[in-house]
Amino acid sequence: MKPFDNPLAPRGNRLLAKSADIKAWVREALALSDDTTLTITELACRDDGCPDIETVIGIFHNDKPTQTLRVHLPLGELTHADVLNAIATSD
Amino acid sequence: MSIPSHIPVFFLSGFLGAGKSTVLNRLLTDPDFSDTAVIINEFGDVPIDHLLVRKGETNISQVSTGCLCCSGVSDLRATLFDLHCAAAGSLCPPFSRVIVEMSGLGDPAPLVNALTPTGGRPETLRDKTVDGIFRLSGFVTLYDIINGPMSLERHFEALKQVAFADQIVLTKTDLARDPATKADLAALPDELKQLNAVATIHDKRDIALPILFARRSYNTVEQSDEVAGWLALEAVLAADTNGHQQGRNFDVKRHGAGINTFSIVHDQPIPEKRFRTFLCVLQDAAGPRLLRAKGIVSIAETPQQPRIIHIVQHVASPPVKLDAWPDEDHRTRLVFITNGIDPGPVKEVFSSLINDSSRPFKDVIASLSRGFFDAVLVHINRIIHLSRR
Repeated sequence: MKPFDNPLAPRGNRLLAKSADIKAWVREALALSDDTTLTITELACRDDGCPDIETVIGIFHNDKPTQTLRVHLPLGELTHADVLNAIATSD
Repeated sequence: MSIPSHIPVFFLSGFLGAGKSTVLNRLLTDPDFSDTAVIINEFGDVPIDHLLVRKGETNISQVSTGCLCCSGVSDLRATLFDLHCAAAGSLCPPFSRVIVEMSGLGDPAPLVNALTPTGGRPETLRDKTVDGIFRLSGFVTLYDIINGPMSLERHFEALKQVAFADQIVLTKTDLARDPATKADLAALPDELKQLNAVATIHDKRDIALPILFARRSYNTVEQSDEVAGWLALEAVLAADTNGHQQGRNFDVKRHGAGINTFSIVHDQPIPEKRFRTFLCVLQDAAGPRLLRAKGIVSIAETPQQPRIIHIVQHVASPPVKLDAWPDEDHRTRLVFITNGIDPGPVKEVFSSLINDSSRPFKDVIASLSRGFFDAVLVHINRIIHLSRR
């Protein structure tokens, strides 16, 4: 699969633009190569006591199992700090 | 007639109120679709969508309550398997095409994965049969030009529904009458191309339904890299959940607790003026938090001729009077899909406005939560005005 966080992609939609921002933050924080694919989606959170919606970040490494990061916030509300914190506290 | 192999399956998608039932009504009365099985999926505890479409005599209509994308792949595959068995056993008419009307809040990723052969599912007889008989053939998304832009900005599901489509149909284009709206409409295809570069975009006024649901190949590889990523992530999450649940059905909720669905069922016919007042209060007080309201209403003045009502966010369609009830149940049945509104206050307002014997309306108002209370108060004068008309 090709990498798909294209910096020249149109950024008209707020959620897609935030999705592109999140990918850039993760890529920078983990020093990921261009051939590592990132995918962002929203799901309802399954954990008791957590906010309704969580953002799930999938990191498809070429040489190791796929890694997922979960942030207990809607995608549109995620900040750079939230993403860094999720990375820091992931397994 | 024998059942042909590789029966094409089409998803009919579109955010809440995009016009899916209207399209289904058109195709169910179209002779070209007499060989079509329709699976209607809705997000709500009282199934009414099947009442809002007129069934042709030779068509099969199945209702799946609960959201297919939440209940996972098993419900859709089980429904397809049941349809196949029923047709093979002459328990229902044969069919050579299936259209799955998705819930307006449906996430396409798990459903598209459900119709992708392999994917690590156990090779049961049911799975082998479904994989051998049915093929995903197309993904049609309706895009409401009035509410669509706001839905795309607020709801990730709406974004995915556009991104997964191989055919996009612009609906409510007849409402573009003023020059500014017509200009917006003209620019819309280019805007949607930024979300989905491969889909063909149609105006509903110009498109023949058989073209939308003609047998073809839906290839996820030809969709965007985003779509490929969502499908891959979905498979990872499903495997993760299956691993934890050791083979139980994949059961992930996709819609946050803020998204509520609830229903009101009322036994007695309702005076038309009171019902109009209720809708007016609800719509004004809830604003954009009322994502969808739909239902069938028994009107006291004409109890044998129910009304169909549709509200999509801030747009209410004029009630449609039916010539007769579509089934034996002659009760008023309303379904609401809301974002951040508790059912309790809505039901109390309904009860207060509709029932003579319930609590005085001012007492109900006083018991409501502050936000809803304030919103209702703003419109008290409107209620009084309407009640005097």
